[in-house]
Amino acid sequence: MPKDALNSPETLLDVRNLSVEFRTPRGRVKALRDITIPIRKNRIIGIVGESGSGKSTVLWALLGLLAKNADVTGGEVRFGDRDLLHASEAQLRATRGEEISVVFQDPMTSQIPVLTYGRQMLDILYRRPNVSAAEKRRMAIEMLGKVGIPDPDKRIDQYPHHFSGGMRQRAGIAMALLTGPQLLLADEPTTALDVTMEAQIIHLLQDLQKELEATVVVVSHNLGLIAELCDDVVVMYAGEVIEAGEVHEIFHNAQHPYTRALLECDPARIDDVSRKLPVIPGDIPDLTKALSGCIYAPRCQRALPVCREKLPPDVARGEMSLARCHLLDGPHHDPSWPPPLDVMTVGQGVVGASKPARVKTDKPLLEVSDLNVQFETVGHLRARLKGITQRHVDAVLDVSLLVAPGETVGLVGESGSGKTTLGRCVLNLVQAQAGSVRFEGQEIRNMPESRFKPLRRDMAMMFQDPVGSLSPRKSVRALITEPFQIHGVTGIDLDAEAERLADMVRLPKPFLSRYPHELSGGQARRVGVARALALNPKLIIADEPTAGLDVSVQGEILNLMADLQAEHGLGYLIITHNLPVVRHIADRLAIMYLGRIVEEGRTDELFGRPVHPYTQALVEGVPQPDPDRRRVHVSISGEVPSLLNRPKGCDFAGRCPFAQDLCRAEKPPHVKMANGRRHACHFPLD
Amino acid sequence: MNPSESETGIPAVDASGLPDHVTEADIRESAARERREKLRMFLTNWQGLTGLILVTLFFASAVFAPWLAPYDPNALDVPARLSGPTLEHLAGTDQLGRDTLSRILYGGRVALYIAAIGVSVSLVIGLILGMIAGFGPRWLDNLLLLVFDTVRSFPTIVLALATVALTGPSLGVVLAIVIITSIPQYARVARTATLTLRNTDFILAERSLGASMTRTLLHHVMPNVIGPLLILAAMEVPVVVTVEAGLSFLGLGVTPPTASWGTILNEGYLVIRDAPWMVIAGGIPLILTTLGFTFLGEALRDIFDPRMGKGR
Repeated sequence: MPKDALNSPETLLDVRNLSVEFRTPRGRVKALRDITIPIRKNRIIGIVGESGSGKSTVLWALLGLLAKNADVTGGEVRFGDRDLLHASEAQLRATRGEEISVVFQDPMTSQIPVLTYGRQMLDILYRRPNVSAAEKRRMAIEMLGKVGIPDPDKRIDQYPHHFSGGMRQRAGIAMALLTGPQLLLADEPTTALDVTMEAQIIHLLQDLQKELEATVVVVSHNLGLIAELCDDVVVMYAGEVIEAGEVHEIFHNAQHPYTRALLECDPARIDDVSRKLPVIPGDIPDLTKALSGCIYAPRCQRALPVCREKLPPDVARGEMSLARCHLLDGPHHDPSWPPPLDVMTVGQGVVGASKPARVKTDKPLLEVSDLNVQFETVGHLRARLKGITQRHVDAVLDVSLLVAPGETVGLVGESGSGKTTLGRCVLNLVQAQAGSVRFEGQEIRNMPESRFKPLRRDMAMMFQDPVGSLSPRKSVRALITEPFQIHGVTGIDLDAEAERLADMVRLPKPFLSRYPHELSGGQARRVGVARALALNPKLIIADEPTAGLDVSVQGEILNLMADLQAEHGLGYLIITHNLPVVRHIADRLAIMYLGRIVEEGRTDELFGRPVHPYTQALVEGVPQPDPDRRRVHVSISGEVPSLLNRPKGCDFAGRCPFAQDLCRAEKPPHVKMANGRRHACHFPLD
Repeated sequence: MNPSESETGIPAVDASGLPDHVTEADIRESAARERREKLRMFLTNWQGLTGLILVTLFFASAVFAPWLAPYDPNALDVPARLSGPTLEHLAGTDQLGRDTLSRILYGGRVALYIAAIGVSVSLVIGLILGMIAGFGPRWLDNLLLLVFDTVRSFPTIVLALATVALTGPSLGVVLAIVIITSIPQYARVARTATLTLRNTDFILAERSLGASMTRTLLHHVMPNVIGPLLILAAMEVPVVVTVEAGLSFLGLGVTPPTASWGTILNEGYLVIRDAPWMVIAGGIPLILTTLGFTFLGEALRDIFDPRMGKGR
């Protein structure tokens, strides 16, 4: 970092040469090495990096809230004239909350469930004995109003469980801002929220920062969020700052090969829709080992021999920017680096040839029609006693869907849209109340398990949590070969099968003897794919296949899935909320809202010309990793209503900018358009 | 078939199929290293080590009692009756002149027999019932819980008194009482652990593969439930040993002349004013065994139970 920036009065908080190590049973993990981040006043600073980059560790180090096994081995954190690293616990406590406050990732777990917001906010102001309780309450109500909570004077007396996810995050922001801190830290503030909610929170943070003239540090892995929200960006990799600069410099003229690769891997940035996504090869290095040279060298496409031996110089560009790479300066300076933006620097699969001509059959693989799944909310007796007539909620309502062999269908919706329930219902893990599910023409809805079991060989499911969906006390070998044992497949060599499957999903063989907790997210996902593929199924239902994976890894998994589809003619039903990803892999999309499919059609048409206002909101709701394409307004407001009080008319009417009286009175029927698209809207957009 | 790099854009891997910064040895290392680390933590924990030594002593003394004991436990040495510790009788003798040390060593065999069989049988039955209660239908869960609570509501000693009144005292009755009264404990722990696993992704994943309930329980639930249960069992051993001693003390357990720590205490209690040595000598192994198993259980729990992990 240029030295002149360090002491300028503009700098509010200054992290200098910070090093942190963790003592673990595996040895000392050098989690942060010589980190320097000046945080300028009245700016929004984004710290971006993949998992394991140490971005959250920086945050906790600032607050003195590192885990007990952490050792700060060097550096300082200057906040005004104080050094926070060496402050006493009493001083730190005075600083935390009053001058530096935090917005947490998950508002579900970071708020006290048994206290009202009024009580919690009163407690936050405990250091102000000369302010009366009534005055504190007034301040709290005012702040809740500022963050966009309707009727703050009534809702302040409610408990966290009365608030929806988005509202809770708003309340979390209000609590963080209540003391008027100079510095607001936000740790993945939108990760637990849906796309439409994320956009609202981004705008809220931006508006509040301007209004309150606060300085904000946002930690995130989401490039779109960073581009949309931040003024300055710091890119971290494996515990080092490898590049820093203003947001335009980073996103339009990235200097470091890692930043370049990271940007190129983001599916939202790739306009050309192909079935292959770029990937950064390799894994994050083991930080317990002795490190030498450039930390990114083992994965870098442009690595030189010197990169593995000598630490690259910090090459300054402007007042605030730097990049740490041999290619930029010194004896190994390469004037042709960085190449123009349209030149790809990371590897990508062969495009085109991989997608085979679809097996043309009239018979669809999976045919769901008018499926209804209901969940019971109150028991028989209680309903009778309380006079409740509606004992059920409709989790899935009149859903029809087709998946042909070799086809990829994306099922997209926000949380609570019933997409996962639908997937589980197809696999007979959830009972359905009406409609039909046909697999290769055979009715399978609510089939008894004994008859359904043989069909499970043809249908497999990939679960959302890559590590959590693997039995923790089983080795990878046992997990991969389990399907054979469950279905009594005999006459095969299990060890040979395990190796064949590991090969197929490109999992190195020594990993076969590992246990799930010893795998990274990407490796665990491969094991999940191998298990799903063991018995050569025809249909795979993938629930959020890229959830929990880093940008550089999700490309590998999606490419793998595409290759396997080409090889085996699999049909995929991909359940996701991640539109940028599904756009690259799905042939057709179905958009679900509150258990109903509101629009269905070919992916390119759906993206190019959405018919349903909700689809449009989703398509526009994805933050673009490009600071020039910031949105000026939020397309839809509000939140997904609860299933318990489903609107009488169109489910989306309450949030729809085009809603009319008819929408509120009557549910729109499913309409088939001339080109095969279907939608459920009274007034389709055109 | 493994498509090559140019086809897939997948990282370059060398001949062994590994990314260049990971060696095969590293991968094999990491799993073993964690286990070694836990073992090291266990052995450097003073509680764990003391527990382990005491427990080993308990087992060894019971198993090798016939070789270790200087006399037959029922051999009478009338001239030396009620003697204090002497060179001939290291722990003294009782009112019939039987060598207390020999009787203690042989008494350990009874304690070990009851503890080993009682704890393991009740552990297995409790585990199975608990998993069924946690995994099965709601009505079965409620029924089993009712049974567990009913059994637990009986005071052990009163239950034993009532049973012995019907059957007469014997080792078998003690064993049965121990097993019946400790099953609910294991079952409740197993049930709670199973309930938390029931809705996890990996159990759902097994269902989606078509795994039967037996398979799911045996292969996927049990390995995750058994850990805390084994720790519980280690802490339960001294309880069983004292229950046996208590019942024998009351004359409800083993019948004379068989030596048991409880009967030694009982006989010593009658002559405590003249020869306190018997009570002391009979109490020490009971105390050491209790301490040993408790230390061992606590050390195991501290190290292997993830919920006891320290730090964030």
